[in-house]
Amino acid sequence: MFETTVEVIIICIKVGVAGMVLFSLPIPLTWVERKVAGHIQVRLGPFRVGPHGILQPVADMVKMLLKEDVIPTKADKWLFMLAPIMTMVPAFAVFVAIPVGDKFTLPFIGKDITLYMSDMNVAVVYILAVSGLSIYGIIFGGWASNSKYAVMGGLRSAAQMISYEVAMSFAAVGVVMLSNSLSLVEIVKSQSGGLFHWNFLYLPVGPVWFMIFFIAGLAEVNRIPFDLPEDEGSLAAGYHVEYSGMRFAFFMLAEYIAMVTISVLAVIFFLGGWDDPTGVIPLPPILWFVGKVAAFIYLFMWIRFTLPRYRYDQLMTIGWKILIPVSLVCVLVTGLMRI
Amino acid sequence: MRDSRIETVKVKSLESGVRWILKRTFFVDFIKGLMVTLGYNLSKGVTLRYPDEEKWIPYRRFRGVHTLNRDLDGRELCVACELCVKACPTRCITVVPMEDSTGKGISDRVAGVWKVDLVRCLFCGYCEDACPTTAVRLGRGYERACFDLSSAVLDKEKLLLPEEVPPDLDGGVIVAASFERTGAGMKVNADFTKLKGDWLKMQG
Ligand code: SF4
Ligand code: SF4
Repeated sequence: MFETTVEVIIICIKVGVAGMVLFSLPIPLTWVERKVAGHIQVRLGPFRVGPHGILQPVADMVKMLLKEDVIPTKADKWLFMLAPIMTMVPAFAVFVAIPVGDKFTLPFIGKDITLYMSDMNVAVVYILAVSGLSIYGIIFGGWASNSKYAVMGGLRSAAQMISYEVAMSFAAVGVVMLSNSLSLVEIVKSQSGGLFHWNFLYLPVGPVWFMIFFIAGLAEVNRIPFDLPEDEGSLAAGYHVEYSGMRFAFFMLAEYIAMVTISVLAVIFFLGGWDDPTGVIPLPPILWFVGKVAAFIYLFMWIRFTLPRYRYDQLMTIGWKILIPVSLVCVLVTGLMRI
Repeated sequence: MRDSRIETVKVKSLESGVRWILKRTFFVDFIKGLMVTLGYNLSKGVTLRYPDEEKWIPYRRFRGVHTLNRDLDGRELCVACELCVKACPTRCITVVPMEDSTGKGISDRVAGVWKVDLVRCLFCGYCEDACPTTAVRLGRGYERACFDLSSAVLDKEKLLLPEEVPPDLDGGVIVAASFERTGAGMKVNADFTKLKGDWLKMQG
């Protein structure tokens, strides 16, 4: 009985910490994104609120909170209010299955604490399934707004996510074949032992799987060059064009968290998770993990301010005519290599 | 259906075809582009941090806020001939002549009132062209933001004050500055001794 209570308390603490971290993550991320944008465009980025504009996200948040919450008259009110939450909840729920480290022992008590909420044996499937749910929020948001732009954005997003979900799942299949497990902790463990054990360097298929996963991931989280659902040029802001204030902020929050999720997954699937690439630098594993994820997030922002947006038909071509055939070939090659 | 292709491939020879495929497979153009933006990301921005840290000092030819000048003995050069009033396309200068034999001006006739409405002025410089005694000159001041339009009308007392930019400073440079906001208004305090760089060079 006592043991169970302790377990429950530990899980509650973990959920609380993870929730808080996830809720506050977009605050520094928006700042970083605008700084990266600024410097890539030879500007300074936000500079006036706080030293180097560090308090800009706080100012933005206050602004968002004070904004009027507009619901269009002809909108479907229930769906309209539900949609931001429907996008946000799956983005958070994914993190139930995501490990950020193996385990550490609490000093003095000698109790092992695992750095994940649950080590599901089907974590990969769970993540693909749950993250796919967030598309409902986007479609509902677009539909309920009763606006042409929003509907177009929502529909594009549906088509895009469904197409790239296939390629992404194939990439996950590749990883599962390489690591012989569906559990994320096992996948990381199978890559331990330095740089050359990482799935990324499992030649020749590792890099290909990685690129498929990365491109599909970009499309999945609607980042440039695949941000067609919110294409400013032709759709104003796409599915969230009618949203304002906090509801809009929820969409943004979900988007940033999705970006973090994809980065985390890329690190776990291909870059050895919390594994130390050299085996000699005595850094705590969690720092390796955070460092790799941060590098990925930077890469996402870097790409955003480098590439233009693809046309819609190009997007579909890349998904169906390139990524999926390549993944099929890759499955075959990986299978032959693993015999 | 050709339009739906990512790029129309014109394979001229086997070699160029192979190169085309290799380029796409290894994301060559993509990496080149990323390198360009990375270079910019690491380079220093060209943003002028006005008014917090830097301020641009215009060239001498700049046409900013008017100044009224004196000769070497300190007498007012303006003889209140009102030519500038006539020349002004926006009629924003008001001159009321006055007799004065105390030697305040270079002649017996001085301007009793000389004011310019900077809200209407378009800084064309016709007034300084018209002036026979080089009394009115367009200076290098350009910070005219104000809360109250009445302070945009400058009268003789203000215009006769020496300019803020020291006359021996050639323009086209950036100097250190600080921004001050008080109840009375805003002010940019420039430190003309601390040069921070050449404007033209900064533009690369
Ligand atoms: S600069 Fe032109 S508009 Fe301004 S006061 Fe002189 S003549 Fe008039
Ligand atoms: S400023 Fe020059 S042009 Fe104008 S009234 Fe005086 S002397 Fe005449």
